[in-house]
Amino acid sequence: MFGVALAALILASCGSSGKGPATLNWYVFPEPSGSFATAAANCSKASGGKYQIKINLLSTASDQQRVSLVRRLAAGDSSIDILAMDVDWTAEFATAKWIRPWPAAMAAQETNGDLAGPIATATWRGQLYAGPINSNTELLWYRKDLVPNPPKTWDEMITDAIALAKQGKPHYIEEQGAQYEGLVVWFNSLVDSAGGQIVTSDNKVVVGPSTKLAASLMHRLATSPAADPSLNTDKEDDARVSFEKGTAAFEINYPFVWPAAAKAGIQSKMGYALFPTVTPGTDPKVSIGGYNLAVSAYSKHPQEAFDAITCLTQPANQVRDAIKGGLAPVSASIYDEPSIAQQYPFHALLKAQIQHYGIRPTTPAYADVSLAIQKALSPTSSIQPNTVVTTLRDEIKKALSSGALL
Amino acid sequence: MSTGVATAEQPAAVPPARGQHLTERAKSERRLAAMLVGPAAIVMVLVTAYPILDAVILSLQRSDLRFPNATKFIGLSNYGHVLSAPVWWQDVLHTAIITVISVGIQLVLGMLLALAMHRAIFGRGAVRAIALVPYGIVAVVAAYSWQYAWSLNSGWIPKLLGLTSDPLSHQFTTYVAIIITEIWKNTPFMALLLLAGLALVPDELHEAARVDGATTWQRFWRITVPLMKPAILVALLFRTLDAFRIFDTIYIFNQGAQGTESISMLNYSTLLNRLNLGLGSAVSVLLFLLVALIAFVFIKGFGAGAAPGAEAR
Amino acid sequence: MSQRAKQRSGWSAALVVVVIASLVPVVWIVMLSLKTPTTVTDGSFIPHQWTLSNYKDIFNAGVFTSALRNSIGIALISTALAVLLASAAAYAIARLDFPGKRIILAVSLAVAMFPQVSLVGPLYNLWRQIGLYDTWPGLIIPYMTFALPLSIYTLSAFFREIPWELEQAAQVDGATPAQAFRKVIAPLATPGIATTFIIVFIICWNDFIFAISLTSTTKAETVPAAIALFPGVSQFTQPIGDIAAAAVVVTVPVMLLVILFQRRIVAGLTAGAVKG
Repeated sequence: MFGVALAALILASCGSSGKGPATLNWYVFPEPSGSFATAAANCSKASGGKYQIKINLLSTASDQQRVSLVRRLAAGDSSIDILAMDVDWTAEFATAKWIRPWPAAMAAQETNGDLAGPIATATWRGQLYAGPINSNTELLWYRKDLVPNPPKTWDEMITDAIALAKQGKPHYIEEQGAQYEGLVVWFNSLVDSAGGQIVTSDNKVVVGPSTKLAASLMHRLATSPAADPSLNTDKEDDARVSFEKGTAAFEINYPFVWPAAAKAGIQSKMGYALFPTVTPGTDPKVSIGGYNLAVSAYSKHPQEAFDAITCLTQPANQVRDAIKGGLAPVSASIYDEPSIAQQYPFHALLKAQIQHYGIRPTTPAYADVSLAIQKALSPTSSIQPNTVVTTLRDEIKKALSSGALL
Repeated sequence: MSTGVATAEQPAAVPPARGQHLTERAKSERRLAAMLVGPAAIVMVLVTAYPILDAVILSLQRSDLRFPNATKFIGLSNYGHVLSAPVWWQDVLHTAIITVISVGIQLVLGMLLALAMHRAIFGRGAVRAIALVPYGIVAVVAAYSWQYAWSLNSGWIPKLLGLTSDPLSHQFTTYVAIIITEIWKNTPFMALLLLAGLALVPDELHEAARVDGATTWQRFWRITVPLMKPAILVALLFRTLDAFRIFDTIYIFNQGAQGTESISMLNYSTLLNRLNLGLGSAVSVLLFLLVALIAFVFIKGFGAGAAPGAEAR
Repeated sequence: MSQRAKQRSGWSAALVVVVIASLVPVVWIVMLSLKTPTTVTDGSFIPHQWTLSNYKDIFNAGVFTSALRNSIGIALISTALAVLLASAAAYAIARLDFPGKRIILAVSLAVAMFPQVSLVGPLYNLWRQIGLYDTWPGLIIPYMTFALPLSIYTLSAFFREIPWELEQAAQVDGATPAQAFRKVIAPLATPGIATTFIIVFIICWNDFIFAISLTSTTKAETVPAAIALFPGVSQFTQPIGDIAAAAVVVTVPVMLLVILFQRRIVAGLTAGAVKG
């Protein structure tokens, strides 16, 4: 990516309105380290007066970010130029024509050198709709002092946890079991790791044996001594807190727990490993998170916005986002940089999981599909392994029609 | 004595001029009244009637902001989707459970609080002010405070009760937590509504009954309650309708997880998370009808003189 | 123990219960707001480590200060408009004879009973088309509307108590109508209007459902809606301390209003509720 040069080139060819820099409103989740603010300032400066990026903060929770953006976009609000989309919104936003497809001439440039997972999430029906800015994936974190060898599969992990419980040692497995998007990430990661799929690319439900396997695993964990008593209400941060409190032996979570563990003084006890898989001998396929930057269909400065995204997602900015802000890069080569390797001793695991990725169902009705899955699987302790496949099939089918009450 | 929440009409300062031949004075008075009442009336009607009509129209359409090109008239099929969905009936049940239990307990506690306030047993100022604190507090704040209090990770309640299991992970205890929050927040208001009714019970009746040897309990049931019946019904009506719309507490607690989703929560998520305006509007209209039905039952069914503009006697 | 003494001790016990029950959740959120990030989840009622850093955080983050500004501005304007419109209507109801009196009272009652969530969808739909979504007027209009019924009831109850003959008496004594109004009626009406203002302000200040449905950015988001927007240390961190601190800040004004004006609030609400 050579965003700045490209930006200058394209802008020079379009000509500017001559009224000073265009203000580009960038709607993005709160990034407390200030790395996005630095990137925005640097890119604005480098544009040579073509544009000025203004950051507008959305909520912390992803579903709340979506709600805020979607309501404004449905209102045809031209005050949004660039929006940070969670990776699972692309199909919905593209189908509703709220975002612009990436100009063909710039598309290859934008994703050049990126890992396969982030590119897939920014693409819908073969067309690139956004520039990936950061990725994310959940690893297994465990107590080195309790678990000599990290488990490779969920079966092993549950068995290990039960064994620890019998010895009266800390043994909980921290996962995100609350009725929200995190539950879908868990479920989808298990389904994908078991070799299955939930929705096909032509919008058909294909739940089958791997779905049953995934749901049964969730139920087994929820009803075993390995489950945290708060599993049904736990989100990412609850899992982190419980692990830091010392009641857990395992934790499935994003890398933000690593710097937090240092602050809590438990980092030396914390080991990391690949997300446990379902079928022994296979690699896990974890549903990746992260964000992609898209240009609003109602932006009055689309060209400048595309240029700005190209700049914001440059490797130099990704490196700072990763080091200061803890955001996993999308560009493959960054993972090998010494500064990253030092901050993320588990960088190879991240890279592997983002390369061999899973993604949540891509469908314009994703919000409905996610809701249907959440309601069918929550609380995980009440899952009926024998009927859950039928329930899921019916509910997801209804969700895909987007017209039923869920 | 008047009964309604509607302030009863009293003879106006100026004698009414009825009949077909209005005096000039009466006519100008009517004009003035129209000018004074007009703006408030117009605002209330416009801001409620227009949207509810819009909701009715939307509810007859497939109208989903995510699929703007698919918009079309589909008759009553949204209502069919709602009424045939188990989730609708479950949510009606959840809402009814929360309403009945929380309002029932609020009535008992509110009555005790009102009696205490009425007899000014609570040192006039400070204690009464403290009793009103839950009424004034922002509902979202109340919900956060109680939710954090019950959370196994951060709260004092599980610690106090020595719980090892997470109360907010189980349906029953989550209901307990939500209902306690509602009771805490709303009992002061219930008490105020009842206090107004208590003020209408003449002390002489109590004195006379006491002389006749009636116990406190007997006097409460035979004198206070019958005389307060209209006020009680009004308080119940208002609290019931309010509880039936429960949203804030559930939204903050768990967004309807653990089988606590209320109708308002369902309505909100269908409309504004899924952006399915047609389906969501059908839920809105049905909720509106349910509320109207409850009001009708209270006003007509219980013969509570709660009808608007109830005449003073 | 005599019957009386027994009763008194019973009521005293009840008094203690009421005070504790009313205050514990408030004290708890204050305590939470004073805990450090590492101790905020320790579950202890009293902080082990005290800090004011949560308050510093929220006032340094632009999100909260703009929400506070929105909350104050929107609640004050809505309240002022509602009280203004309601005063006019209540004056007519209390003093004039006109055929629509029952209708206006019935309309008010119906609005008071209205399920507000039913309006959220159509209002959003309308606001997005006419550009009121995520603006101050977008919230002021529904706030004002739903504050009107209570304002009208409360004010007309107050206005009925005013001895309007004094106005005529003053005019007989040679005062102009304007003077009579200013010198005689206005001072008598002010307490009722002030009381109504306080009650309505609390209602507008507390709203959540319109705020989260009809706003989406710092442009119009009020504090109850914005509390969920506070950034944590990372994307997933829940800023419990910041939420608690914001909750305390937003609670202080209403607590003060309630405690300072409790007598008026009680009088206002009971007058509006049942008045014979």
